[in-house]
Amino acid sequence: MNITDILEKLCGAAGVSGAEDDAAKAAAEILRNYTDDVRIDASGCVYGFVGSRDNGKPAVLLEAHIDEIGFIVTHIDEKGFLKVGNCGGTDRRLYAAQSVTVHTESGDIRGVISTLPPHVRKDDKSTMKTEDVCIDIGYTSRESAAKVVSPGDRVTIDTPLAKLNGTRVTAKATDDRAGAAAVLYALELVKGKNIPYNIEILLASQEEVGTRGAAIGAYNVSAKTALATDTSFAYTSDDKHEDCGEMGKGVMIGISPILDRTVTAELKKLAADGKIPFQPEIMGGRTGTDADVISLTKGGIRTGLLSIPIKYMHTPVEVVDTEDILAVSRLMAAFVTGGAENV
Amino acid sequence: MSENSETSRLYDLIGRLSRLCGTSGDEGDVREFIKTQLPADCEVSTDSIGNLIVFRKGSKTPKNKIMFCAHMDEVGFIITDIVSDGRLKFAPVGGISPSVVFGRRVVLKSGRVGVIAAKPIHHLHGDDDDKQPKIEDLSIDIGAADKEEAEKLAERGEYCYFDGAYEEFGEGFIKGKALDDRVGCAIMLMMLNGELPYDTWFVFTVQEEIGTRGAACAAYNVKPDIAVVLETTTACDIPGSEEEKTVCRLGSGVVVSFMDRSTIYDRELYRLGRDAAEKAGVKHQTKSLVAGGNDSGALHKAVGGIRTMALSVPTRYLHSPACVMKKEDTQATLAAARAVIDRLAVL
Repeated sequence: MNITDILEKLCGAAGVSGAEDDAAKAAAEILRNYTDDVRIDASGCVYGFVGSRDNGKPAVLLEAHIDEIGFIVTHIDEKGFLKVGNCGGTDRRLYAAQSVTVHTESGDIRGVISTLPPHVRKDDKSTMKTEDVCIDIGYTSRESAAKVVSPGDRVTIDTPLAKLNGTRVTAKATDDRAGAAAVLYALELVKGKNIPYNIEILLASQEEVGTRGAAIGAYNVSAKTALATDTSFAYTSDDKHEDCGEMGKGVMIGISPILDRTVTAELKKLAADGKIPFQPEIMGGRTGTDADVISLTKGGIRTGLLSIPIKYMHTPVEVVDTEDILAVSRLMAAFVTGGAENV
Repeated sequence: MSENSETSRLYDLIGRLSRLCGTSGDEGDVREFIKTQLPADCEVSTDSIGNLIVFRKGSKTPKNKIMFCAHMDEVGFIITDIVSDGRLKFAPVGGISPSVVFGRRVVLKSGRVGVIAAKPIHHLHGDDDDKQPKIEDLSIDIGAADKEEAEKLAERGEYCYFDGAYEEFGEGFIKGKALDDRVGCAIMLMMLNGELPYDTWFVFTVQEEIGTRGAACAAYNVKPDIAVVLETTTACDIPGSEEEKTVCRLGSGVVVSFMDRSTIYDRELYRLGRDAAEKAGVKHQTKSLVAGGNDSGALHKAVGGIRTMALSVPTRYLHSPACVMKKEDTQATLAAARAVIDRLAVL
């Protein structure tokens, strides 16, 4: 599978925080191309172990989160419309008249976020509040809707992957399926190579609601060194250069007090030596990624952070450049094929 | 045609028409498709503004010249400029709320995919996420790295469309882009391909969404005695709306209008429409609020006055990528359109 195929498969699966099942299964299926040692735990985290558990080699953890933002059904009203809460930071500017998919126990159903027409709306200048969101699923009573939908069902705004110009693509949930794709593709790059480490994979659940899956998952692995990967902001002309990286300019290597200095230095050196395009991402403290909790797990795991520039984060039309994802894969591959001094 | 096969033919047509792209001024693909669906025994012409005018003989010649009318164009966008970061500036073609533009995928006329969004919520300050970005502050990203690259991929003046999948959902509902007014076009095609009791004119108009411009020419070119506009109209039967602002409801049948913001409808025709629907056993309702407008606004004032009525399908989320209708209302509108011909012919 090439990187775009992996990303398309991962983004096409549903996995709102706390209900990562489909995305986790899609990732586990790809992971099984590289190892039989794959499992999904009760919290939705996906684990893989590449190498041998008794060869005495140290392990390096490659991590990304598998969940995506979305909604959770909280109530069915008397006309059959659904009230929802948000799972993660949803963007209120795009709610009106969005086509959505409600993932029910008996399968997926379609809906539209109900929006008032101009003659009723107070103004066109304010965004809709999440508590005012009602999903129109084409049912006409609570009784009939309740036969299909249950409170707790998750809702996604469905935009399957589409190609933009060149190597750029758009899809929902590239935050952080692009990271998961980078991790999986790194395994493709090191396949058949004699490497000095075992590789542990963690695709963590519930990042979007506060890095919860990583707290569980990082405890359950043996690695003392980790490379986390997530998406970060790519510059657009309505944003500030100092807050963003640049799309198409390679992996963003995180530099932050919470990240391990030697791991970070090694990543920069490997990128420069391997002619892997990279750009620094400087943060004054916590990174807002799973790296924050992995680094504090079990008395401390040395953690580096690799980010993929993304435009329009937390919208269903996120944009990433697959060349940037490949740069992350290549840098991860360089790290795990490097000498023992990395660990 | 059996009732079942007629129904499936209707939704097949609506689906195919919904997927076509034809904003005001760019109706060519829709017009060409409609031509392929016309029966052999009709006279077809395209006037200079682009209206497709179809005449078909019926069993009898009517006392009044009757013209049915639906518009081919949909709301969309036009590329106005290409800016330094490779994104495209655009203007709406027709009335589009900025709230249904943000966070959408669009398709350029060339087939190239683009997206509309802006800097992420993480970079908004204070209560900025309370503010809906204006259309003029948004741009289309087609994945071009810079202006030079973008200029090879898109051009100023190129049309651009919502990417709204047509599908059936729920308990007999449909959703898609451009149902306003491809549904009217589909209903006219069903009438044209069925039995006609009287000679009838059918006009598929252009440029409704930018001010009922095609209908003004069509009226002059056909000069009917009576016009029947087949349209969609706003239904606000959704949570958050007050009872008196509901306008009309999905599932309550065809909407026969007495007045909207463009037209005070002929009183006799309004009553005739309701009566014909009632006698034919077709569910009907009227608009409970003076809102919206359609080609009637141009028609009723044209060529010395044309007596005009409007039959509409109640529709939620008009002018968005996901217009929603109930199938039974669409069938009711087709049935009502057929039911009024006999009466109008001899009025």
